[in-house]
Amino acid sequence: MCGIIGYVGDGHDTADVLLDGLSGLEYRGYDSAGIALANATLDVFKREGEVSALESALEGADVHGGAVGIGHTRWSTHGPPSDANAHPHTDERNRVAVVHNGIIENYQEIRDELTAAGVTFVSETDTEVVPHLIGQALDAGYDPEEAFRRAVDRIEGSYAIAAVFVGSETIYAARESSPLVLGVGDEGHYLASDVPAFVEYTDRVIYLDDGEFARIEEGGIVVTDREGLVVETSIETIEWDPEETGKSGYDHYMQKEIYEQPTSLRQCLRGRVDELEGEIVLEELADLAVEGPVQFVACGTSYHAALYGSALLQERGIPAQAFLASEYASERIPVGEDHLVVGVTQSGETADTMRALREASAAGAETLAVTNVVASSAARECDHALYIRAGPEIGVAATKTFASQQVALTALACVIGGGDSREVVRGLRSVPDKVQTVLDESTAREVAAEFVDADAYFFIGRHYQYPVALEGALKMKEITYKHAEGFAAGELKHGPLALVTERTPVFALVTGDGEIARKTIGNVKEVEARGAPVVAVTDGQSDVEQYADHVLRVPTSTPVAAATVANVQLQLVAYWVANMLGRSIDKPRNLAKSVTVE
Amino acid sequence: MTDISAIVLAAGEGNRLRPLTANRPKPMLPAATTPIIEHVFDELLEAGVTQLTVVVGYGRERVQSHFGPTYRNVPINYVVQEKQLGSGHALLAAEETVSGTCLVVNGDQLVDRRIIADVIETHDAGADATLGLIRQADVSHYGGVILEDGEITEIVENPRDERNYRLNAGVYALEPSAFEAARAVDPDDGERSLVDAIAELIDSEAVVRGVVSEGLWVDATYPWDLLRVADSLFAAGTVPEREVADSAQIHESATLLEPIVIADDAVVGPGAVVGPSACLGENVTVGASAVCEHSVVDADTRIGVNATLVDCVTGRGVRVGAGSIVGGGPGDVHVGDRIHQDEPLGALLADHATDDGGVTYAPGTIVGSDARIHAGSTVRGTIGDDTEVQG
Repeated sequence: MCGIIGYVGDGHDTADVLLDGLSGLEYRGYDSAGIALANATLDVFKREGEVSALESALEGADVHGGAVGIGHTRWSTHGPPSDANAHPHTDERNRVAVVHNGIIENYQEIRDELTAAGVTFVSETDTEVVPHLIGQALDAGYDPEEAFRRAVDRIEGSYAIAAVFVGSETIYAARESSPLVLGVGDEGHYLASDVPAFVEYTDRVIYLDDGEFARIEEGGIVVTDREGLVVETSIETIEWDPEETGKSGYDHYMQKEIYEQPTSLRQCLRGRVDELEGEIVLEELADLAVEGPVQFVACGTSYHAALYGSALLQERGIPAQAFLASEYASERIPVGEDHLVVGVTQSGETADTMRALREASAAGAETLAVTNVVASSAARECDHALYIRAGPEIGVAATKTFASQQVALTALACVIGGGDSREVVRGLRSVPDKVQTVLDESTAREVAAEFVDADAYFFIGRHYQYPVALEGALKMKEITYKHAEGFAAGELKHGPLALVTERTPVFALVTGDGEIARKTIGNVKEVEARGAPVVAVTDGQSDVEQYADHVLRVPTSTPVAAATVANVQLQLVAYWVANMLGRSIDKPRNLAKSVTVE
Repeated sequence: MTDISAIVLAAGEGNRLRPLTANRPKPMLPAATTPIIEHVFDELLEAGVTQLTVVVGYGRERVQSHFGPTYRNVPINYVVQEKQLGSGHALLAAEETVSGTCLVVNGDQLVDRRIIADVIETHDAGADATLGLIRQADVSHYGGVILEDGEITEIVENPRDERNYRLNAGVYALEPSAFEAARAVDPDDGERSLVDAIAELIDSEAVVRGVVSEGLWVDATYPWDLLRVADSLFAAGTVPEREVADSAQIHESATLLEPIVIADDAVVGPGAVVGPSACLGENVTVGASAVCEHSVVDADTRIGVNATLVDCVTGRGVRVGAGSIVGGGPGDVHVGDRIHQDEPLGALLADHATDDGGVTYAPGTIVGSDARIHAGSTVRGTIGDDTEVQG
């Protein structure tokens, strides 16, 4: 999903308004962004990465005070984001710049035609045909407006499109089946894919209809139909908070993202699990051959997913270890040509993880990025990339991306480990439904209310549930600002038990009814004996409920799926505790979504 | 009207559809394989609606997570009705989000775009409200109106007399005065209904018009009606004769009989026979040699090897064991202390009901959510939620 923005003002702060606007559209996703400013020349700035990357690029640049500009933010799901593919696009003589959201269905035909006419394309996007079409019309002597109309007439598909011309202070825009809204302000006029892009400047808007064109100038906005006849428009006042729309009715992005997990997990699995053959297929890793040990490098939540991934591989007889990326270099971990080094990073830009991957690569290891962002730095620099397909995550605390990392790493472990995957396929296919069941039936809110005033929170688990215990504690820390620690259940008695009091609830992850569950129950009893309240996250297979003060129930599932399912309960507990404490859940203090410094 | 706002009422559970509504509101029940409300959105957008406000309440996360912030590029504004105190109360919850004329539709009934378009076209500032109506012989389970010269003179819920009623299709164009009327209604048993608000308007001598349209209109009153809903969609061509998602895996030796719809990630094993009139939801698995005919199978359900489902409705995540048989209707269905005779239902299995295999379902059996039936049992009648049946 992409977003576009345009601004016509008095020329003082055009670039800032555009950048603010793009930030307001970030919820629509971002992996590259760009702006074009028009005056005597046409200045185009575009960068892969977040809007902030574009911002830093602009800081050093010589930005003229153009009175009009357009901008674009892009989230690729297919095809790489690159400087070349980022919008705005221009014609060969740099006379017009175009941003576009949508899909041009007949672009190949137009592209062939233009190529035959001698036009050189610099990107792989469908959008680039538009500036070239406009350029041709300008060559034929048409004025900018007519040239724009002629180009738009030629394209089929869905579009919200905006163009600026060199030496002109007008934005031309058109819409067909893609959102486009115009903002009427006191100090200028705006256009955008969605209201959040300019809501801080004006709440008066005009919604453009399909097939309509708009000419936006400092003096006003003129909307016309396909034939060029002026259309009467009504200016509406936005009464709702547009940010709420982005949250689809939820109070926080984090809550929305927790509830999106069944959908994002389905996306992650689509086309990758073959039940008929009982195998897992990761097409993008077709040429991955693992000969030797596997090392994972990651930070924060991704590190917990990496721990989980290494446990899965070890169980399949493959030597695997997870390392904190920031420690990887200083620990001088032996790595060589027979190693596969897997970087797990949501953004694909995490500086520590990138550094570790580069070191491994320099030492001759094969590298693999497991990431959410198509063609991110990690994906481009590594030999292989596996996408977790979770969709954009806005909340700083990772939730749905952790679940998708777990599932993607399970698939990876099966592909590397080989053997019969029938049981795993069945387990994975059931995960979205089991997560949905937890979301439907969770009593996490009640448990959170009970323990909102606790001194600290401890989380224990074994084997696959050990990384979940660590992740549960990290979520709690991040968004509640309260002390929380996760431990391997067996480690309690070697020290942490001294911290346990009646004011420190212990969350115990106990799924299944095997030896692992029984041992964790033993640890639960140790805690009970010290008077701490115990919250069992359990599928009811074992008798842990007899020893627990509260139960967060999860449906029965395979051991591999259980870790993903149980984690959802801990996400909800952290969310509700933070909510009751009135914390800034989506943007916790001192934290950023993607940490691009070491 | 160039900008048309629609308020979609989707906050109610629909308790006559229990046990299917244990985890989600009625609008999210499957019409073929997509939620009823998604069809409603499609029809609204096709009829020219440009802004959607959805009143959510019971199971609201299901609605919000399914659609997210936009549907087909149209922004969705969610309004929460914390307590479900009737459709009139729901309407008032959304009052802030609209100005001037607005369209109001029920999110839990299938409605044809022609009905919506006719209401939009007929309504003008001369009327306080315009209702979409259809001709249907039996209106006794729905809302009926008496129409005289295009004006509605009376509106009655579940009319019992033999007068010439038109059926209220649940599509309304309303002026702000209708919101006033909704506010003026005396709550009945704590609830304010939208129909009472219309009655209030009629009593106050406001102009309430009706427009009779042709087109599909289907309401699911009871769980087994979901079979009828799917049939209607196939018959009307809303769902194509054969729709198999790209991501579905169909074994080459399986037989698909039309009409049939198979959603994303579904798997049909070797030798299975699916259809005619089968709807397989997302991620459903049909085991080898299983038969699935005239059934609505909701997402994540697994039908075991050699099982037979005829006239069957399942919720999500149901497990039908190997060799189990739902032989088809008609059968008597027991709901509460009422018996619905000869309903065309083989069996209804609610969310996460599980059988261990070799189970025989007598026609009209209802199995509650999370119930478990042990291998080899024969079951009939109504089995409650979380119940375990042995032998």
